[in-house]
Amino acid sequence: MGAWAFYITTLLVYFAVDVLSAFSLNLQFGYAGVVNFGFIVFQAAGAYAAAVVVLGPSGGVASFQQYVFGARLPFPLDLLVAAAAGALLSFVVGLFALRRMRRDYQAAVLLIVSLIALQVVSADVPLFNGSNGLTGVTWPFGEFFGATATGQPWLYLIYSLVICAVVCGGVWWLSRSPWGRSLRAMRDHEDAASAMGLNITSLRLQVFVLGGAVAGLSGGLLVEYIGAWSPGAWGYAETFVIFTAIFVGGVGNYRGVMIGTLLVPIIFLEIPRFLPAIGYPGLTDSLEWVVVGLAWMLCLLFRPRGILPERRLRAPRAEGVALDPAPAEGGA
Amino acid sequence: MAGQLAVDASSSPETPAVGSPPVLVAKGVGVGYGGVRAVDDVSISISKGEVVGIIGPNGAGKSSLLGALGGQVKRTQGVITLGDRDISSLMPHDRARLGLVRTFQTTSEFARMTVYENLVTAAEGDRGASLRSVVLHPRQTAQRELELRARAWSIMERFEMTHTADLYGRELSGGQRRLVEIMRCLMRHPRVLLLDEPMVGVAPHLTGKLIDDLRGIAQEGLGILIVEHALEVVRKLCDRVVVMAFGKVIAAGEFEEVVRDPVVQAAYLS
Repeated sequence: MGAWAFYITTLLVYFAVDVLSAFSLNLQFGYAGVVNFGFIVFQAAGAYAAAVVVLGPSGGVASFQQYVFGARLPFPLDLLVAAAAGALLSFVVGLFALRRMRRDYQAAVLLIVSLIALQVVSADVPLFNGSNGLTGVTWPFGEFFGATATGQPWLYLIYSLVICAVVCGGVWWLSRSPWGRSLRAMRDHEDAASAMGLNITSLRLQVFVLGGAVAGLSGGLLVEYIGAWSPGAWGYAETFVIFTAIFVGGVGNYRGVMIGTLLVPIIFLEIPRFLPAIGYPGLTDSLEWVVVGLAWMLCLLFRPRGILPERRLRAPRAEGVALDPAPAEGGA
Repeated sequence: MAGQLAVDASSSPETPAVGSPPVLVAKGVGVGYGGVRAVDDVSISISKGEVVGIIGPNGAGKSSLLGALGGQVKRTQGVITLGDRDISSLMPHDRARLGLVRTFQTTSEFARMTVYENLVTAAEGDRGASLRSVVLHPRQTAQRELELRARAWSIMERFEMTHTADLYGRELSGGQRRLVEIMRCLMRHPRVLLLDEPMVGVAPHLTGKLIDDLRGIAQEGLGILIVEHALEVVRKLCDRVVVMAFGKVIAAGEFEEVVRDPVVQAAYLS
């Protein structure tokens, strides 16, 4: 495979992973109104979980890397463990971060969780090898197709796209269900939704855990492709890239979210690679974040509902009901 | 004073006007905000088919009382029963599931949902719309959707709002938003309806129709407790009136008698 083909394939795998992340965050934020500023932590949890169940038993201090719960699990257990790790961590965090308090406070708590998690994992070397992170993660079909996913990128691309399609289809279906409608009611007016019989605390935790599972799955899928995972991959700013993708594409519209994902984490962040080097080394990389921030601000200023706003769902008509005419003037 | 409602707030709730046993009873309810007692030892009851109005000056504690009954505001004292069930410690959604629903002082429509969605969502605050039901029992969920659809259209027809079915909550006029709130409550087959200033924003020529609608709803067996500033509305709509001031009930009875009460005139009407 040529360099360009490999590059394109890699971008498409990243796209599948990012779409999974964006669908998960859109379910939490776009549908349920949960401002999850700690989203990347749950993706990281899935990535670490998948890594340690693929790497095999830890060699302890004699090994070149240390980690907990080492095992060697076959497909699809590795990804299931990744999803379970994201869900479990979401449940624990959700129990204290999603208490009945204002949404901006919840967002602040989740951002702080993200910062603390990064510091703890970086400092606690026996946990996941500290700031050096884990490496040597192989993909689950090694005995059939070669040791690493990057050795067979086309196969891994198909594998990623199938998982992405199935999971995103499930998220979309749930969003359109009566349960998804309850989430939107909670998003629009918590007190009114509660006064109509919706258990807000439970709904919020459900969507947080479900989104955490999808985030964990996306992390597992990513780490098995790139083969390594370290704190450098999951800084809190990564969460804002996904948020920007959702805002640019259209909050609450999954087609828009896919467009936003293509534009922001893929195209916007890849363009600087092709620009001539300017200024001091590393300046171009730093400008990536400026581009993301500008995209978000411009979107909020000129198209606050994104490229494809949330779709209006027409009411299914009941038999025998004729629409009464709208009052000519005035109205209730 | 007709004596239908105990003026002495600390006394036990009175025998309701309609004669049927009270469906909602509050005994000695108190609400405090820091050192302020917004509601102080208030007792009140509502019977099936009865419309009770609460009036009083700003800051009298009317909305706080409604909040305490609905569970949105934490009570500091007192007992609230719905039917024969003590609901004092229940969360708002549990009270709603037992049949106690409410509207709010500021409109609370689901702004980014259509009127139709506002209605069907209101009926989903039970296990029917749970994640488990949706995933494990899709047929029952689909069947339930059909039932809710028919009910939602029937209620929209009743309130002549079918032309707004596809409009977002945020696209409605103030009065239409009030109607959506009331229609949403009716989707839940409530036993008691708490209405907090439902006439605010409603065009004057339509208040008469809304009064007729609310009377019609009450005659079907609902108890309605309404906080309202417009005395003409209270006069036409309510079977009994409770007057609050400084967190206490200062008078109660039929409208015409209450407004002649010197205590009421001193505290409120003058």
